[in-house]
Order: sequence, then C-alpha cells, then structure tokens
Amino acid sequence: MAVNLFYFLVFPGLLFAGVVGAFLSWFDRKISARVQFRKGPPLLQPFYDFFKLLLVKETILPKHGSPLVFLIAPIFAVFGATMAGVFILLPLFNITTGFRGDLLVIFYLLTIPSFSYIIGALASGNPLAAVGGSREMKLIISYELTFLLVIAGVIMKCGQKFDLDSIIQTQQAGSPFIGSISGVLLFIAGIFCIQAKLALVPFDMPEAEAEITEGIFIEYSGAAYAMIKLTKYIMFFILPAFLIALLMNGFKLEGIGILWAVLKVLAVVLALTLIKNTNPRIKIKQAISFFLIWMNLLVVIALVLIAFGY
Amino acid sequence: MNEFISIFTRPVDSQVLQFIILLPILGGLLLLFIPEKFRTYKGLIAILISVITGYLTIVIYRSENQMLSQDQLFSGSLLLHGFGRFLTFNIDNLSKLIILFISLFALLILVYSIVYIKEGRVKNYYPYFLITLGCSYGAILSDNLLLFLFFWGILGLTLYKLIHGHDEESSATAKKTLILIGASDSIMIIGIAIIWKITGSLSMGGVKVPTTNIVSVVAFLALLTGSFTKAGAFPFHTWVPDYAKSAPASSSAYLPASLDKLLGIYFLARITTDMFVLNGFLTFLLLLTGVITIIIAVMMALIQHNYKRLLGFHAVSQVGYMILGLGLGSTIGVAAGLFHMVNHALYKSGLFLSAGSIEYRTGKEEIEDLGGLSKAMPITFFASLVFAMSISGVPPFNGFASKWMIYQGIIDFGSGTGIANKLWILWLGLAVLGSALTLASFIKLIGGIFLSRRKAEFENIKEVPVIMWLPLVILSVFCILFGVFATKVVSKLFMPITGPFKFTGFWDSSFVSLLVIISLILGIILYLALNIKKFRTEDSFIGGERIQDRTSYATTEFYKTIGEFKFFSWIYKKAEERWFDLYDLCKQFVLWLSHQLSEAHSGVLTGYIIWVCAGLIIMLLIMI
Repeated sequence: MAVNLFYFLVFPGLLFAGVVGAFLSWFDRKISARVQFRKGPPLLQPFYDFFKLLLVKETILPKHGSPLVFLIAPIFAVFGATMAGVFILLPLFNITTGFRGDLLVIFYLLTIPSFSYIIGALASGNPLAAVGGSREMKLIISYELTFLLVIAGVIMKCGQKFDLDSIIQTQQAGSPFIGSISGVLLFIAGIFCIQAKLALVPFDMPEAEAEITEGIFIEYSGAAYAMIKLTKYIMFFILPAFLIALLMNGFKLEGIGILWAVLKVLAVVLALTLIKNTNPRIKIKQAISFFLIWMNLLVVIALVLIAFGY
Repeated sequence: MNEFISIFTRPVDSQVLQFIILLPILGGLLLLFIPEKFRTYKGLIAILISVITGYLTIVIYRSENQMLSQDQLFSGSLLLHGFGRFLTFNIDNLSKLIILFISLFALLILVYSIVYIKEGRVKNYYPYFLITLGCSYGAILSDNLLLFLFFWGILGLTLYKLIHGHDEESSATAKKTLILIGASDSIMIIGIAIIWKITGSLSMGGVKVPTTNIVSVVAFLALLTGSFTKAGAFPFHTWVPDYAKSAPASSSAYLPASLDKLLGIYFLARITTDMFVLNGFLTFLLLLTGVITIIIAVMMALIQHNYKRLLGFHAVSQVGYMILGLGLGSTIGVAAGLFHMVNHALYKSGLFLSAGSIEYRTGKEEIEDLGGLSKAMPITFFASLVFAMSISGVPPFNGFASKWMIYQGIIDFGSGTGIANKLWILWLGLAVLGSALTLASFIKLIGGIFLSRRKAEFENIKEVPVIMWLPLVILSVFCILFGVFATKVVSKLFMPITGPFKFTGFWDSSFVSLLVIISLILGIILYLALNIKKFRTEDSFIGGERIQDRTSYATTEFYKTIGEFKFFSWIYKKAEERWFDLYDLCKQFVLWLSHQLSEAHSGVLTGYIIWVCAGLIIMLLIMI
C-alpha cells in the first residue's frame, strides 16, 4: 500500500509526470516560438508559472454559482490525470505490480479532467464559461468514439488482450504496431484525438482565448488555476506516452533504449506542436463532423485492414 | 397471534411465501376503503407492511434454494379443485436477490412519499403501491408461467393507476401505458401457449427450449416482447418517457426506474439463460437491440428540456446495457447485466426522487426555468451529483463498475467465431459512445438545475425536509459503496447466480477510491494553507462588461449544434412528430382500418341484412 502510494504521489505519478509534463510544455512553447521566429521562454518558465499561481496570486471565487464545486473540480481533475498517468506509466517503465488498470479504465480516467473542467466552469456561473463548457462536452462526444476505436484496433491486433503490459510485450516480441498500414492510420487518428483531448489548436474552442477569453477557465485564478495547469502538464506527458505504449513499442529502458524513449516522446509532442502551429481554430460544428465522419472513417478502414491481417 | 409470530421463527416454507405475497396485496385492498384524508396514516401502515415484508425477504435470502409447490392448497374447495398445481414457487439465488432489492426500493420510496404525496396528486397511491409490491414478489417468486403472468398482468394495471390523470396529456399517457403493457402481456400469452405446446410444461425452471425451429423462435420473441416492454427497451420503450413526465416523481422512481427494470430484466435473464438456448441469430438480435436502445434513447435525452422526461429517456437507454450484458450469454456478461440492473435501479430511482424534491420546492418542470439551486439545496445537489456521475460511468462509482464488466464481456465475446462475435467493436464502440452522450446530457441536467446563476425567484428556496432527503442519501451511499467495493459486491451477490468467473481486466476500485479521498484531503489542505477564508469573491468577468441579470447561456441550448446537422435535425423533427413511436404507428393503422370499415356502415337496412346473412353463412361454413 505504501509503495502504491509512492507510485501515485511521486513516481511515476504526480511529481514525476508533473515535472516531465512541465518540461514538455516548455519544449512545446520553445518550438512554437521558433516557428514564429521568436526566442521563446527559458527552461524553467513552466515552473515559474505554476509556483507564481500557487503561491503568489490570490484566488478569486465566483459570486454566483457554487464556490465549493468550483474549488473541488480542479482537485478531481488532478486526481484523474495522475491516476491515468500511473496506470499508463507503470507498464511503460516495466514496473509489474498488482496495482494496475486496463485500457478501458485508462480510457475512462482520461475523461475525468475534461469532465471536471466542465463542472467547474458551470459552477462559476459565468456565461462565457458555460459556452466553453458546452464546447468541451461536444468535443468529448465527437472524439470519444474515434479514440475508443483506436484502442479497440490495438486490442484486435493484440488478440483480445486489453492490458497495457501485454500490448507492450506483444510489440516488443514482434514488431511495433505502427509498422503496418493499419497502424499508421490508427496513429494518425490517435494524434488528432490527443490534440482534441489537450484542447490544442485546431481544437481549442473550449478555451479560445481570443474569442471567449479562456472559456472554461475564465473564472479560475490562483491555487485553483495552478492545479489546472498541473493537470495540463500531466496530460501533456501521459497522452503521448499512452500513444507510444499503444502503437510505438513502448519504452525499453536500457542502454540506447533510454535515448529512444526520450526521442519518441519528443517526436509525438513535436507532431502535436506542429499541427497546433500550422492550423487555425475551427468551429465546433466542423470539429464534430471532422471526427464523426472523417476520423471514424479512417479508423474503420484501419479496422477492416486489421481484420484482413494488414 | 401465535401463528403470526411463528412465521418469523420457523424455517422458510410455503406459509412465508403466502404471507409475503398476500400481506401487501390484502393490505392494499383494505387501504382502498380508508378515506383519502387519512393519507398519512395510510402511508405509515404501508411503511409498516413494507418493513415486515422486507424482513421476510431477508429471511428468504438467507434460506436454502428450493422449489415449493402448494398442491394441497385448494384441494378442499369444489370450485378451485386442482388449481393448486399451478402454485409452484422457485426460490433460487436470482429471485432471492431481486426480492431483496424490491423491498429496499419499496421502503425508501414509501418513506419519501409520506411528505411528497400531497393532496390530489394521485388517488389511492398507497393501496396501489402495496398491491404492486405484493404482485412483484409474486411475479419474481413464481415458477409457474401462468401464475407469473397473473401477477405480471396486475402490475400493468397498478402502473396505470399510479399516474394521476389530471389533464388530457397525462390521461393520454396513462392510456398509452396501459395499452402498450396490456398488448405485450397478451403477446406473452402466445409465447407461453407455444411453450406449453412444445414441452408440455409450464415451469420456468423445468423447460429448456432449443431455438432451432421457427416455432420456438416465435415463442422466445413473444416472451422477449413482454420483458422488453416492461423494462422499456426499443422499440417498446415509448411509454417510459411519457410516463416519467406525467406521473409523480415517486411513482416514476418506483416503477419505470426500479421495479419494472428489476422485473423486466429478471424475466429476460430467465428466458435467455434458463428457458431457452439462444442461437446465433437471436444473440445478434439482442445485442443489436441493446445498442440501438442505448443510442436512440440517449440522443433523444440530449434535446429534452423537461428534466423528468430527460430522466425517462435515460431509464430507457440504460436498459440497452443490461440487454447487452445478458445478450452476451457468458457468465461475466450475465453478471454484468444484472449488476447494471441493480445499479441502474439505485441511481435512477435516486435521480427521480431528486427530481421530485426539486419539483416539490420550486414547482417548475423545465430545466431553463431553474438554476443555481446548489446553495439552496446542498444535500439534494450532492446526492444528484453522485447519481449523475454514477449513471455517466465516472470511476469509481457503481455505474462505471458494471459498464466496465460489460465491456470486458464484449471484448471476451470478440474472440468467438460467429457474426455477432466478429462485430464486437460495433457493440463496444456504441456502448461507450452512449456513455459519453449520457455524461453530456447529465452535464446539462446538473448544470442547468444546480449550477449556473440563481434566478431571483428562488432566493428563498430551502432544502427539502429530512424525510425526503434521507432516502436520497441512502441511495447515494449505496451507489458509492457498490462502486468502491465492486469486486466484493459482484462476488458476493452475483457470482452465486451465474457461477464463478474471473475478471479479465484490472481495476482496484477500493484503493483508487482511497486515492480519491487522499487527493481531496491534500487539495483541501492546500486551500486551507493558502487561507481559504480570505479568498476574494467577485462577480463574473465577461470581457469587462457589466453583467446583466438576464445575461446567461442556457444549458438547455448546449447541444443545439448537434441538432443543426441535416441528418440529425431530420431525425429529431420526425421523432418529435412521433414517427418512430410504435404506439402512435399502431394507433394510426387502427384508425385507418376503422375508417375503411366505416365505409360499410351505409345506414341502408338492406345492406346490413346482407352483411348479417353473409357473416352467418361464413360462420356456418367454418363450423361445418
């Protein structure tokens, strides 16, 4: 139990995932800056942001709505992200323990942060936050099916096994799933789902700072907002890691393998950042039809290919 | 009196069974003669009776499994001689568990009703409530199909009587419910007749019909119709949302939300696992109906503005998961389906009761008329939040646990070779999509009623009395416990029914729940360390504009975007015109038919005489 608590709070949970996620978010900002011919922030900027919010800035509560729910929602979001992170990262780091979750559990846990944001946004009583909340929910509805089908495709490739351990082992014993046509299609759909899950451009309509001034987060400040930042850092690490575990062979943490592991994470984050920097924000209706029609079509093609052994 | 006491001390025998079934029915019939003005006393008597029967169900639950027949019961009577052979009862793990939960729901909802049922709401609420209770016990415990049908039929009638027909709409709803339920009961008679014809037996436990030929398939489908109509599955679901809207919330919580699910799914479990051996086509049909039920009902729920009707659509959509579980036929699938049935009854009756509390305090039934009630009704709010998270499958609540088991069942099922097995991704994908859509519509419900801005007219709203919130709290505690200790609950309550099985997935819900609590404590410590008392409170910021009283973004408009797609807008329009409502389709057909027949009524006497003679000749021809 104590060791499980360590997994949750220190490694590979809250502390580790948060720190790595913060560095990745620096990487994202640096790349974005380079794309826009700027210099970009220093390496520790995400930590400055986080601690400033946590320790310096005051927390302002909404006058309308429900302040209690408003404050608890970010805690629940951190919990969801960390829990999902533990279940994703334990098999990736090849730590075998009785304390684990399968793909469906991870899938559901990964929805908790978005769900908490929406509840928190509605609890603030701000109409712009409500607009953001409604967009976030519609976004969830649209990418959820695609994301599940990607996972189902991996389960199919792995012969109906749905724990991350066996999926990584199957790949390491054979070849990575991304090495086939169907794997590439699943990867493309997966990248877009992650983009939407992280609410990055072109799917940042729940936040849309130029339009509805951060939408779901508009009323958040101080410590509560620091926790949301922390959730975002964690998600920014664990979602690419999840995709790597599903399709790209996982990590092999010995010798040159460590370098490969780092490069894989950076490559996926780079892909996300480049999509973010080269696209405009689309409308929610466009996002719905993008996932509901095109991405699902892509995944269904991949599933048919898997059924025929490609 | 000694007789009365001895019932509680002796081991379970036929007398306990008679007592548990007849006491509520006779009590209900007696209460019918007590005038309405002693309503509260009638309620208290009803609670007393339900406590006694509840105790007896515990006695039965702890007793041995057995088949009881009461051949000798009517042997002395001339008129009913030989009737006793129909009185066979089956006490097995499944029926024991179901009656236990029936007692729980009946008791909680009765306690709630004491305050909630005010004058003029429903006439004779408690008598019909008790008759329903007795007949439910009877239907669950009886083994003979005719006896089962007898109790089942009375349940349709009491369902009709528990709506208050105060205006045209609610009367029409009551009529619709009665006709749909009645029609499905008569279809069940056909199925039972066929079973008797094939096997020569009317015992549920004694028959095992293989569905190899068309006759047995018809029998299965006929019984399936009965179970689907009671539970509210596509395409016989259309009475549920209307009922939920028109009936008092406690009636909805009692029948469509909990008891009808327990009964309908109980019967589905009986026919799919005990009475018939399903072939591949029927499995496919069950799974298909399951996912169609999930998606259609939840899509309709998304656009509802009336919160009781919204809950009614969810009472339909959740049935889809139970059908999926039972349709899989594997031990884990059946256990998951039954677990989901119990979970659904827990959170859905809770949701209906919270809806009742909101209606009791505000008198409003539309989501857009409400808002910001979380401060005024904190207990109702937190209970509803627990129910909403449970039904949307947020871990670690109970809805997640049973859905997770169903998904495992589906993935296992995928390694089979049949057509239905090959389509496992379809079942899985639509079931998960349904769960996301459920979350969406409950965000709307919770956001619209409890969060968002409070309307000025609700400034003086207070929490409901303790008798009303206590059942809610108990139900929500059940929701949490069944989620946190899911694996223990399943192995204790459901494995005896289906036989042991191993989970193929990994989910340590107790420890994860502990982590939720630890996270909450750490978070609260953080806030306290930062001096939460000194947090400033400010009005909402909308781009620096001054907020107007009416500035808001109505949660009911949340999913309008989805309705803007051409395909969905067409479907929604047709659905609102009731194109897909089986009842209305049949009604139109019958009206058309009677219109055709009315042509024959020309009013000319010679014409009528010719009709009469022609009919007579045809009858004679047939009889010869």
